[in-house]
Amino acid sequence: MSGSGRTWRFYLCGFLLLLAFDTIVQLSFKNTGVHAFPPEANWAWVQRVFGHPWIYIALAAYLGNFFTWMSLLKHAPIGPAFAATHLDVVTVMFASAWIFHEALTPMRLLGAGVIVLGIVCLAFAESGAHPENDAPTEAKGALGVTAGS
Amino acid sequence: MTPLVATLWLVSVSLETGGQLLLKRAASDPLAGDGAARWRYMASRPWMWLGILTYVVKILFWIAFLSLVDLSEGVLLSSINIVVIMVAGWLLFREKLTPLRVAGILLVSTGVAIVGLGA
Repeated sequence: MSGSGRTWRFYLCGFLLLLAFDTIVQLSFKNTGVHAFPPEANWAWVQRVFGHPWIYIALAAYLGNFFTWMSLLKHAPIGPAFAATHLDVVTVMFASAWIFHEALTPMRLLGAGVIVLGIVCLAFAESGAHPENDAPTEAKGALGVTAGS
Repeated sequence: MTPLVATLWLVSVSLETGGQLLLKRAASDPLAGDGAARWRYMASRPWMWLGILTYVVKILFWIAFLSLVDLSEGVLLSSINIVVIMVAGWLLFREKLTPLRVAGILLVSTGVAIVGLGA
């Protein structure tokens, strides 16, 4: 079925884009905090926050994240999709180790491995093996949506 | 965990779930159409705005929660969101819970919890 193949490619591109935006958001917020250090409950701190480009990069990525997420949710089931977004925990972990020299403890690496394993399961779950589970049929539900025409 | 921390946590989980369900409701509306018209349609209906509002309120509760616990503990406790949203999607949107989907979702949730434990 070419339809399910297209759906799968759409999910892949969408989730990779979302992952990139998510990672940029987290790293940019961290960088914002670093440049505005030390945190203070005053106007000077707010000025430091908005005085560096990082906060604007973070907000732009947040916006990109929102539009990508809303596009994915048109068809993607919310349960598996929300779980899949947590791949950003893994990318942020490695990016933080590289950029900010944060520790990669054995526990964190184990957690990252389990997350990746879960994402692989979700990818297989949505692959062509189960086209009957593809999302368009799931756009109807108890919140008052009925599949039109 | 003090009653205040527990309350902030439960409110955060509820708001996160509610916000995601509202966004899903907005995004999957079959009457919305495609392209720019879809965005105009979503902007003209309350669901997306309610979802965004719920998210903003959630962030306030989350910040309050994080000020009382370590970030790693916050990550650990937030892993429950994934399971709650899976169940909510099944109940409200009739999403099929195939064995592979459930396995994947539980693994991701467990992995996030382990990352929280391992900090």
